[in-house]
Amino acid sequence: MLSSVSDSARPGVPSPTEAGVLLRLEGITKRFPGVLALDGVSFEVRAGEVHAVCGENGAGKSTLMKVISGQYQPDAGGLYYRGEVCRFQSTSDSEAAGIAIIHQELNLVPHLTVAENIYLAREPRKGWLIDRAALHRQARQCLDRLGLDIAPNALVKTLSVAQQQMVEIAKALSLNAQVLIMDEPTSSLTGSETEKLFAIIHELKRTGVGIVYISHRLDELALIVDRVTVLRDGRYVSTENLADTSVEKIVAKMVGRSLDDVFPKRTSVPTADVLLRVQGLTRQGVFHDVNFELRRGEILGFAGLMGAGRTEVARAIFGADPIDAGEVFLAGQRLTIHSPRDAVRQGLAYLSEDRKHDGLALKMNVAQNITLAHMEAVSNRAGMIRFDKEQDAARHYIGALDIRTPGSSQVVRLLSGGNQQKLVISKWLFRESRVLFFDEPTRGIDVGAKYAIYQLLDQLAGQGIGVVMISSELPEIMGMTDRVAVFHEGRLVTIRPTRETHQEEVMHYASGRSVPAAS
Amino acid sequence: MTERQKDLFQKFAALASLLGLVAIFSFTSSAFFSVGNGMTVALQVTSIAYLGIAATCVIITGGIDLSVGAILALAGVVAAMLVKAGAPVPLGMFAGLLVGGLCGLINGLCVTVLKLPPFIATLGMMLVARGVALQLTDARAISGLGESFAELGNGSLFRIVKIGADGFPDVVFVGIPYPVVLMVVLALAVSILLNRATLGRHLYAIGSNLEAARLSGVNVNGVTLFAYVLSGLLAGLTGCVLMSRLVTAQPSEGLMYELDAIAAAVIGGTSLTGGVGTVSGTVIGAFVIGILRNGLNMSGVSAFTQQILIGVVILLAVWIDQMRHRK
Repeated sequence: MLSSVSDSARPGVPSPTEAGVLLRLEGITKRFPGVLALDGVSFEVRAGEVHAVCGENGAGKSTLMKVISGQYQPDAGGLYYRGEVCRFQSTSDSEAAGIAIIHQELNLVPHLTVAENIYLAREPRKGWLIDRAALHRQARQCLDRLGLDIAPNALVKTLSVAQQQMVEIAKALSLNAQVLIMDEPTSSLTGSETEKLFAIIHELKRTGVGIVYISHRLDELALIVDRVTVLRDGRYVSTENLADTSVEKIVAKMVGRSLDDVFPKRTSVPTADVLLRVQGLTRQGVFHDVNFELRRGEILGFAGLMGAGRTEVARAIFGADPIDAGEVFLAGQRLTIHSPRDAVRQGLAYLSEDRKHDGLALKMNVAQNITLAHMEAVSNRAGMIRFDKEQDAARHYIGALDIRTPGSSQVVRLLSGGNQQKLVISKWLFRESRVLFFDEPTRGIDVGAKYAIYQLLDQLAGQGIGVVMISSELPEIMGMTDRVAVFHEGRLVTIRPTRETHQEEVMHYASGRSVPAAS
Repeated sequence: MTERQKDLFQKFAALASLLGLVAIFSFTSSAFFSVGNGMTVALQVTSIAYLGIAATCVIITGGIDLSVGAILALAGVVAAMLVKAGAPVPLGMFAGLLVGGLCGLINGLCVTVLKLPPFIATLGMMLVARGVALQLTDARAISGLGESFAELGNGSLFRIVKIGADGFPDVVFVGIPYPVVLMVVLALAVSILLNRATLGRHLYAIGSNLEAARLSGVNVNGVTLFAYVLSGLLAGLTGCVLMSRLVTAQPSEGLMYELDAIAAAVIGGTSLTGGVGTVSGTVIGAFVIGILRNGLNMSGVSAFTQQILIGVVILLAVWIDQMRHRK
């Protein structure tokens, strides 16, 4: 699937010439206390190209972008914009020059309108007052340029994430940006929204805008990228035309070794006994009459588009959201779950898609996070914590899951995404959970760390744990699960053994194109 | 620096500024550095310390309690009224404590069940409790409470008095006032709670990430409720001790004490965004405020100037704390 990249011809895309270099960085070095974040990195962006920057977490991508946008000043090296030396002291300097950055976390004010957001802090004025007519007219023009069907007077909070992203792009263009930096722009977009974004990117290329594109989704690169620069451990590795390389080669450069396979071989075999049975689960307006069984040692995939109700079903079973009807049986016994607390006691675990928001206590340390769901195991009857036991538990999981941390008292906020994910898994293993609901287990995680997470999932299944893996990345579902349950608009459409189906068929069900007539 | 070193540095910085204050005031006022004045300062600090410890627990959960000043007035007034009506002193004070706990319970229920923002819930309680205290007493002070009512606030442990050669009593050691003893016991107990008990760990977890704590099976509502009840109880205790010290119950007592308590916690490194804070830091913070007031008083600085200086100290302390946390 990915190897087709190298031979894909892309007619109609003008190949960028050697001339027309908009932005050039030479030998950029940036040092933080104890860390060399960037070590002599060079990089350039030409007019009309999409230039991807790839690298694992901590490779220096975001530091490089912050140097370009003026948030950081480099310790050594030069930044040339349109051939002239520049020293940006802040993002307003770089914006004024024509460099705009669109962050992964969108920077819009939710309670203001689209127009007000686009022209925030540079509103057209009539004397002391805002010229509302001009504001809306200009915003309308910006949106029209991108062919966007968004009302200038709509409140930003009423827009979808994809629409908000488009507004950010419109804002960048209204600044006459010549260089546009996009950090993980598709991480929260659905398939069709991504297509729309790519169409806009193609349009921007035609007008000569240089785009720096950062994404963990390497399979996207083939669709829009012209050149790829790889960084590793703060050092420059290579810059190549995408046509001359392949995703496999890029990944090998990112991790510094070749990955034989994206997914490990499944070693575990699901048993026949049913661990979890869900019957007629319904939450009005969210999901309807969901039935499935999960066997001991099985990995069951939840596939579907964003908003199909997969996460909502998992959260409802876990007691995090209320249900209107339905029953849940664990090992044949009917469960009454009113809160996550009840669910945890019964041996269920929910690993959220958003670790930082609702998975980890970021201000607390590694040991404290591991034991958080199972304090009884490390405390005496009076409720006093036994620190020796807690340290033992922490040391065990740091070793068993190969968590890279300076120690068990390291504050979790400072760990990388992959290690944070392993920490969340440790928490639930320590709780001796029997069923794991694993929501987007590899989102925002490095390629190398993904493999480790997959291996871990396989091991857990081998120990007889039932795993529900919710994922928007179909290759992951196809590569790791025993069976796949496909959701469409709040209904579980079908459950198929993974070996007997293929990606296209799953997509077919997920998009609702062949839902059985009677259900 | 590792987090641990940073923590120690912060503690040391606060402690060093405390010692610096002591050194400066020892120069500016000859009477400042003495056992007698030390006990006076300790006694004056007790109220801020009790309330500061309570505030620390609530702020660690990411909440705030603005009602402690009003609750302490109501608790003290109720205790005094019962004693005045003939109830034994311990019973009266126990009732005061209960009133405090009840107010805290209502605060906690407003936050957990009604889902009101803590700022609003406790702002409401601040007005209600103060209003009830004024209503009960017709805004008049209750005095003539008798010697036994004064014992808790004015008695001392290990007070040594010798009858001198001239037949008059001679105080060898002023003793450790009961409120100071209570402060030490309280600080140790809450410190153990926060550091060693699962309940304390859950307080930090809720403040650090409420949703993560909930999904980990932490009884979020129960633990939050506990923080507010504890805060109410400690406010009630403060009320009893303070009124006993004055041997008068004033319904207008404790005005703005909640702000002193929050200031003590913040100077001691408690983060208003939750998840961070220690009892030892808060006690140091309380002493910084107390010693500033006492030392400035003894050096003849006016009350207005004192306010200005304490305000500046709070700004400085929080600014330094923020610097420490930046990257």
